[in-house]
Amino acid sequence: MKLTRIATALTAVALMAGAIAAAHAATNETIVTVVKVTGINWFNRMDEGVKEFAKDNPNINAYQTGPGRADAAQQLKIIEDLIAKKVTAIAVVPFDPPTLEPALKKAMDRGIKVVTHEADNEKNTMVDIEAFDNSAYGAGLNERLSKCMGGQGKWAVLVGSLGSRSQVQWADGGIDNAKAKYPKMDLVEPKLETNNDGEQAYQVAKEVLRKHPDLTGFQGSSSLDVIGIGRAVEEAGKVGKICVYGTGLPTEAGKFLESGAVNGIAFWDPKLAGLAMNKIAQMLIEGKTVENGADLGIVGYNKVTVSKGPGKGIIVRGTGWVDVDKTNYKQYSF
Amino acid sequence: MNAPKWLADRQLNFLVIVNLLVVIAATALSRGQFVNIDNLQSMGGQLPELGLLALGIMLSMISGNGGIDLSGVALANLSGMIAAQVLPMLVSADNSPALYTAIFTVVVVVIGVLGGLLNGVIIARLNLTPILCTLGTSLLFTGIAVVLSNGASVRVEYVDPLSDIGNGTFLQVPIALWIFVAAVLLLGWVLKRTPFGLRLYLMGTNPKAAFYAGIPRARMLILTYGMCGVLASLAGLISATHTSSAKWDYGNSYLLIAILIAVMGGVNPAGGYGRITCVFLAATVLQFLSSLFNLLGVSQFFGDCAWGFLLLASLALAGGERVRSIFGLGGAAPASKVPKKVG
Repeated sequence: MKLTRIATALTAVALMAGAIAAAHAATNETIVTVVKVTGINWFNRMDEGVKEFAKDNPNINAYQTGPGRADAAQQLKIIEDLIAKKVTAIAVVPFDPPTLEPALKKAMDRGIKVVTHEADNEKNTMVDIEAFDNSAYGAGLNERLSKCMGGQGKWAVLVGSLGSRSQVQWADGGIDNAKAKYPKMDLVEPKLETNNDGEQAYQVAKEVLRKHPDLTGFQGSSSLDVIGIGRAVEEAGKVGKICVYGTGLPTEAGKFLESGAVNGIAFWDPKLAGLAMNKIAQMLIEGKTVENGADLGIVGYNKVTVSKGPGKGIIVRGTGWVDVDKTNYKQYSF
Repeated sequence: MNAPKWLADRQLNFLVIVNLLVVIAATALSRGQFVNIDNLQSMGGQLPELGLLALGIMLSMISGNGGIDLSGVALANLSGMIAAQVLPMLVSADNSPALYTAIFTVVVVVIGVLGGLLNGVIIARLNLTPILCTLGTSLLFTGIAVVLSNGASVRVEYVDPLSDIGNGTFLQVPIALWIFVAAVLLLGWVLKRTPFGLRLYLMGTNPKAAFYAGIPRARMLILTYGMCGVLASLAGLISATHTSSAKWDYGNSYLLIAILIAVMGGVNPAGGYGRITCVFLAATVLQFLSSLFNLLGVSQFFGDCAWGFLLLASLALAGGERVRSIFGLGGAAPASKVPKKVG
């Protein structure tokens, strides 16, 4: 039975290592941020915000966790464990908002404060934070695009998936903006789907260019759209002749910003969203609520808009998007 | 070795020891919070979905000849989704909540049976390798679910008795856990005490001998995969009621974990051997570990790492025979079943 002994000893060692990893033990108040999936750039950046909040508030134990695999079921399990742990507040970026309804209801029934992000259809939440108004964001992108196009010419809109609520809202915000302000802009392809895939976006953009050789503008929605479009524009030798704007991440789109194939991108900083979620959770713990026009003391959340959510909670909207082009994308490391 | 009979299964000993160790360590590390009733209920509510899927994997593995059911998660989601969409057309949720719940359950299980039988028929009659067949049907079930829902979550109408299946408790024990335990006991009885169980193990151990012994291979396979379908649909029933919704990609990470549980429970992927008690204990130890890490705020990646480590430890412990049999090099029975020459 020597092997049994070795195996049990090793198991004990593994458990001890876990204990050491969890050394930062209990304080009175705990705010846990649960993200969709850990280990990707976006949520690593959010973690920086959570860590900064924890550093500024040493009396609060704030940390971020999330499933190792992108799966709504795994996120649900984590939240159930946190409810059993009786944390003070849960700040969650739901993988799929409806899946979490019963669990978040249970959390609130037990007196746990619940804050959500990117889930304006979540009923069982006290405060949902949106970085910005989706239509305004889409209109903002479109405004930059139309400036570049000189307010005229053929243009197309790509979306990652028609099932993605926010992306469709961005696209519609852009389309409405052009319709209202720039009658000479001719939308030839409204909302082509790219399956949130850079390769697919490239294929779609190539087809659009073949069909409309005189096209002068692209608006992308998924963060991979601009990458695909940029590649297609470079290949067609039309850098500088076609204006490309869309959601994108500086590290991913940097190459195309340098070459000029992509003129500009916009995004919101997950670090600031992480800070805002924890800040609001802290306010809820202190018994305060967020008023319309309040200043959270975080860039992009200096004058928030508050509206009623689909449930009993409220939706807090910032103006937290960042416009970036070739000149300043290097300031952002994600 | 002169150990009493109940100590003879090294796999079982290992799992019991690890379970105990984890519970003791967890209780100490969390200052008793681990054995708090809230945490116990939370773990009990989380265990059944994965556990039922692991039972399905175990059953299909025992049947041998490369048997495995990869379509469990997809079928679970599909059955919950169809029930959620069909039910409002049949019964009014507000007028008769009990009837609504009953019919919901029946629809879910019927879809599970149909899906499972489809797998069985393809494998038995068309002689397709189980891994290919169930991979195909898994894509088929997922595809149907995506088309039915346009890729979005489907809401399950809120009815108290229905929600209780996934969220309620009976005698302080989650109802979902009662369902899982009932499934374990029933399946354990079927495997151990019925002619079906005996034939299944024989067929898994040596298909050729089973054929000459007159065991009806096709009927056995169809029945086995049908049962896998029922187990998957029960997992679907629990997840749909637990989350009040059904989505095509819910639990997409469960498949590999379910296989891990089955293998860690000592089920022989080559067929013919698998103890349900061990699979149950493997499922509990994974649940204990994952909840412990969440309680302590340790990264989930560390949890994955610990699981992998446990699997390796269990393989190391099972010794050469089992590892060889997994790679198809030796007999299917574990060490304890093979008489040893004592020299």
